Amino acid sequence: MPKFLHTADWQMGRTFTRFETEDGAALVEARFEAIETLAQLANEHECDAVLVAGDVFDAQTVSDRTIRRVFNATKAFVGPWVMLPGNHDAALAESVWTRAQRLGAVPENVHLALQPGVIDLEAQGLSILCAPLTQRHTYGDLTEPFSGYETPEDFLRVGLAHGSVQGLLPDEIDSTNPIAPDRAKASRLDYLALGDWHGTKQIDERTWYSGTPEPERFRNNEAGNALIVEVSEPGATPTVTSLPTGRYQWHQWRETLAVHSDLEQLLERLNTLPESAVVDLRLEGSVTLAGEETLLKALSVAEARFRSLRCERSGLQLTPTDQDIAALKADGYVGEVVESLRERQEGAQDDVARDALAILAGMLREREQEVGQ
Amino acid sequence: MKLQRMRIEQLRQFRKPFVLDNLQTGLNLIHGPNESGKSTLVRAIRAAFFERYRSTAVDDLRPWGDSAAAPTIELDFEHDKRTWRLTKSFLQRKRCDLVVGTETYSEDDAEEKLAELLGYQYPKRGASKAEHWGIPGLLWVEQGTGQDIEQAIEHAGDHLKSALNSMVGEVASSGGDDLIETVRSQRDTLLTGTGKPRGDYLKLEKDRAQYELEIEELKERVHKYQEQVDRLGKLTQDYEQAEAERPWEDAQRQLEEARVRYQQVERLEQQQNQEKATLSQLQQNHRLLQQNKEHLEGLSRQLEGRKAELDRAERDLATAEAQTPMIAGRLSEARSAYEQAEKQRKLAGLLQTRQRLEQDVRRLEQQKQVLTDNLAKAKEYHQQLEQARQQARENRIDAELVKRLRATGNQLNEETIRSRTIATRLSWQLDAGASLTLNDESLTGQGEQQLLEESTLVIPGVGTLGITPGGEELASTRRKLKTLEENLEEQLKTLGVESVQQAEDRLSAFESAARAVKHADELFKSLAPAGLEQLISDQKEAEVELEKAKTQLEATPKPDPKENVPALEEAEAAFTRAGTALDKAETDDRTHQSSLSALKQARDNAKTEWQRLADEEKSPERQQQLRQITTDLANIEKQQAELQASLERREREIRDARPDFLKQDIERYQNAVNQLRQTQENRGRELRDIKVRLEAWGAEGLEEQLNEKEAEYDQCNRRYQELHRRAQALDLLLNLLTEKRQALTRRLQAPLQKHLNHYLSVLFPEASLEVDEQLRPGTFSRGTELGQITELSFGAREQMGLISRLAYADLLREAGRPTLVILDDTLVHSDSDRLEDMKRILFDAASRHQILLFTCHPEKWQDLGVPPVDIQASKGVPNGT
Repeated sequence: MPKFLHTADWQMGRTFTRFETEDGAALVEARFEAIETLAQLANEHECDAVLVAGDVFDAQTVSDRTIRRVFNATKAFVGPWVMLPGNHDAALAESVWTRAQRLGAVPENVHLALQPGVIDLEAQGLSILCAPLTQRHTYGDLTEPFSGYETPEDFLRVGLAHGSVQGLLPDEIDSTNPIAPDRAKASRLDYLALGDWHGTKQIDERTWYSGTPEPERFRNNEAGNALIVEVSEPGATPTVTSLPTGRYQWHQWRETLAVHSDLEQLLERLNTLPESAVVDLRLEGSVTLAGEETLLKALSVAEARFRSLRCERSGLQLTPTDQDIAALKADGYVGEVVESLRERQEGAQDDVARDALAILAGMLREREQEVGQ
Repeated sequence: MKLQRMRIEQLRQFRKPFVLDNLQTGLNLIHGPNESGKSTLVRAIRAAFFERYRSTAVDDLRPWGDSAAAPTIELDFEHDKRTWRLTKSFLQRKRCDLVVGTETYSEDDAEEKLAELLGYQYPKRGASKAEHWGIPGLLWVEQGTGQDIEQAIEHAGDHLKSALNSMVGEVASSGGDDLIETVRSQRDTLLTGTGKPRGDYLKLEKDRAQYELEIEELKERVHKYQEQVDRLGKLTQDYEQAEAERPWEDAQRQLEEARVRYQQVERLEQQQNQEKATLSQLQQNHRLLQQNKEHLEGLSRQLEGRKAELDRAERDLATAEAQTPMIAGRLSEARSAYEQAEKQRKLAGLLQTRQRLEQDVRRLEQQKQVLTDNLAKAKEYHQQLEQARQQARENRIDAELVKRLRATGNQLNEETIRSRTIATRLSWQLDAGASLTLNDESLTGQGEQQLLEESTLVIPGVGTLGITPGGEELASTRRKLKTLEENLEEQLKTLGVESVQQAEDRLSAFESAARAVKHADELFKSLAPAGLEQLISDQKEAEVELEKAKTQLEATPKPDPKENVPALEEAEAAFTRAGTALDKAETDDRTHQSSLSALKQARDNAKTEWQRLADEEKSPERQQQLRQITTDLANIEKQQAELQASLERREREIRDARPDFLKQDIERYQNAVNQLRQTQENRGRELRDIKVRLEAWGAEGLEEQLNEKEAEYDQCNRRYQELHRRAQALDLLLNLLTEKRQALTRRLQAPLQKHLNHYLSVLFPEASLEVDEQLRPGTFSRGTELGQITELSFGAREQMGLISRLAYADLLREAGRPTLVILDDTLVHSDSDRLEDMKRILFDAASRHQILLFTCHPEKWQDLGVPPVDIQASKGVPNGT
């Protein structure tokens, strides 16, 4: 009873621009760990093979070290791996794959599907019908030839492709590398393992996107999984189990603060997130000076707690209340300046005025604290 | 505020209590001489307010040498309709009590109350200094500091602003200026004065640009890499396709075919060329034959020509011969003219020779005569000379010797005379025939002899008598005499004369002969300087020359006097002309002769030619030749026509084969083969190059690098944006704060300016004094003068300082603040006019403020209209309450 692990879109060699250096490095490291996790899962679930449906590498010219580390990370699983070139790592005349081969980094149990065709895994009774990308973009369905591929009768016919299933994926209708939605049926496939979509997604009972094993962006839900596929015999309906593999969860929140309780709610929600969270906050609306002080304190705590926390507050206006101003003892012309900044901020959505107000409030607060001491 | 009474005790020179009371609401003039305690009173008031009661830095208040003293000040004043009493003791008894109406404050509370009332502050430790004095520092003017208004205003600073708050509403800000400074310093870490980035901000900006550059570069390289990958794919495909199709082989085949066709055409062209050569030979032959034919046919025509030539030659000859007599005539004429001219020239020459010879004869004759005369005279002089010389020779005598002889003779005479006087005289008179022999000398007759020597006188028969003259002198005289005689004898002998007289005569004769020689010699030499022989030979030579000239003259023929002989020059010129004419005539003749012979020759030639042609024309060979040539020509023409037809045919054949195109085809196919092979080779090479290049580039991990670089850029940019926003925010904040603060100051400026103008108009009716944003009197203008107050004279500055202070006092009073003005010996630098104005100002100000004016010159202030208070006099007053 053949069983295999379906994964895709490792995007190795990607670096993360929007994070602090240290966080970025940790996120990169997590992707290598994800491969090791996959190998481990394949062993645990006694899989016959691991199929990687494209975009193993994020780019053609990644460093030699990255290439070696990727293949090193697979070594825990000694069964066959079939890796398919995707749009990021297409099998061009010169590609990351040819380099890997030249480096001698590819272990014997890793099959590179650099040509369209069938890879028969005799021992496992698996015929892998491969549709590798040999150009960066194609506009025809590369899985079309699957129908013409003959395979041994008692072998499972498993398609391995990278692209967009036509008409089913949101916003990607006109995208390149199209794949016919009924490919599994049309080409008599027992299972069609797809890559390109980074979240886990079922297309039909035999067609799945596994998603990336470790999330690397804020959009795309259901990232961070691998699929264990079990097909009792050729023609049987596959049993597909999704297993979590991701280490970090990425959250992107866009919140509008209007009243004080909004802020309180936001902070409560933030508290419930696990430490492995990667958080991107974008705040809008307005906040009082006291509210901002609370917010800054909470963010400071959260920054230390989470893998990464970023908060964009430029859309968040500062609206000092009379109590704020009284508390700051902003009398005389300083008071006038506060008022003038507040007006500018509200009137013209002036970021500079907002910042100036924040700085002024900070200074006044500091002064008050000094006086208090 | 009105100070009513002050009492001090144990304070400097006021060891005993001193009370100053009855102080008036307005102006109070307090005077006393130096050291009377005037300054101590001022110090006491300041100490009462400014110094902390527990201060240890007020030793100056202690009376001299009194370590147990407790300097005490008591002040009563009224403010805000309440009475205030301040009692302050220092050093030995530190206390401070303040009673305000019914409220009582003590110690620190009392001091804070006072400070708040008047607007000043206490030092944290030590003595109070100017920076602590606040508003009183401005209104209480110490001696000699009246002009330092700016410092005082600065120190009054915040106190002033808060004091003036009620006037300008709630606009002043506590600590606002510090805030501005903080904002400014933070802004200045990011921005330069002109708003350009600096420090970290600048560095980030530069880093960002650098990252952008690097990213651009990496992107470019990635792009290149991708291009190369694409190129590799395309090349591989092309290469393999070309290897399968081998297009260069087709081209090679086509090339071979084209070459074969071209070779055929080349052969045709060779044949064509050969035939063309044959044709051209035929044509050449034809031309030659044609020429021969024409030559033969042309003989008759030539004959006529020759006849005409012959006729012409004969005509020319006849013409030339006709000229012959004329030319010969001209020649003979020229020749006879030449001969005539030659004769004339000879005659002229002869005549001239004769004339010259005649002249010579005349000259020589004359010369001969002169020489003959000279010779005769010379001979005569010569004879005379010879005679004189003879004479001289005969009488030659040495004049010197004669002279000596003469001397010796004279000496001898003298000696002889002397000897005679002393000599023994022997005189005798002998009988005739008797003789005696004296010294072998026979003496006879009568005689006398002086004997100078021993003599022997023999008397015959008698014997011999010896006579010895006596005396020594006689002996010496006799010896001398003898010597002289011998000398004389000797000299005479030498001269060859008998006597001195003879010698004299001879000398005279000799000298006269010598003169005669000299005379004759001079005469002779004048005539014959080279000697007589020369003269004789000269004379003979002259004779010979004369003879020769005469002979020549005779030999020269005498011209016929009848003939007209021209001068020689004329004759020679005529001769030359005749020679030239003759030359020309001869040349003409020669030319004529030679042309004549040439013409004869030409005529003979023409005749021969004509004869030869005439003979030839008639010969039968010529007829034969002509016929033969005509036949040959016909043959050649036929051959030519055949050849041309063949050439045209072949030419068409060649043209139809298009050899130029064939040639181009060969080139084209050759190029195609080369190019196709080359392209394939290039592809192979490029493939290898690209592979190598891509391997190298791939190893660099360009896209990963790019990713990383973009991450770094993002970091940098984020930080930059933060700083950018912060810089902008700080800039805005600073601008706003400064702006608002200036607005505030401007609101205080106006009332202060009003009060200042009020006083200034008294001093300088046309002047104005601007108050700046720091509320300091700044720009002063008067008429066309314009400048800062600090540029004025000391006196004027002091006056300006005082009116500024009074203006402040007015402003404070309007704000409901206490004002007390204390002036310690002020305005000492003002002249009397200005002082008068200042008095008006003070009087005016005193209507609003209490003013204490301390002075040691009460006479200057007599006209203030207030009773002066004399400290000295007050000292005598017993302790008040």
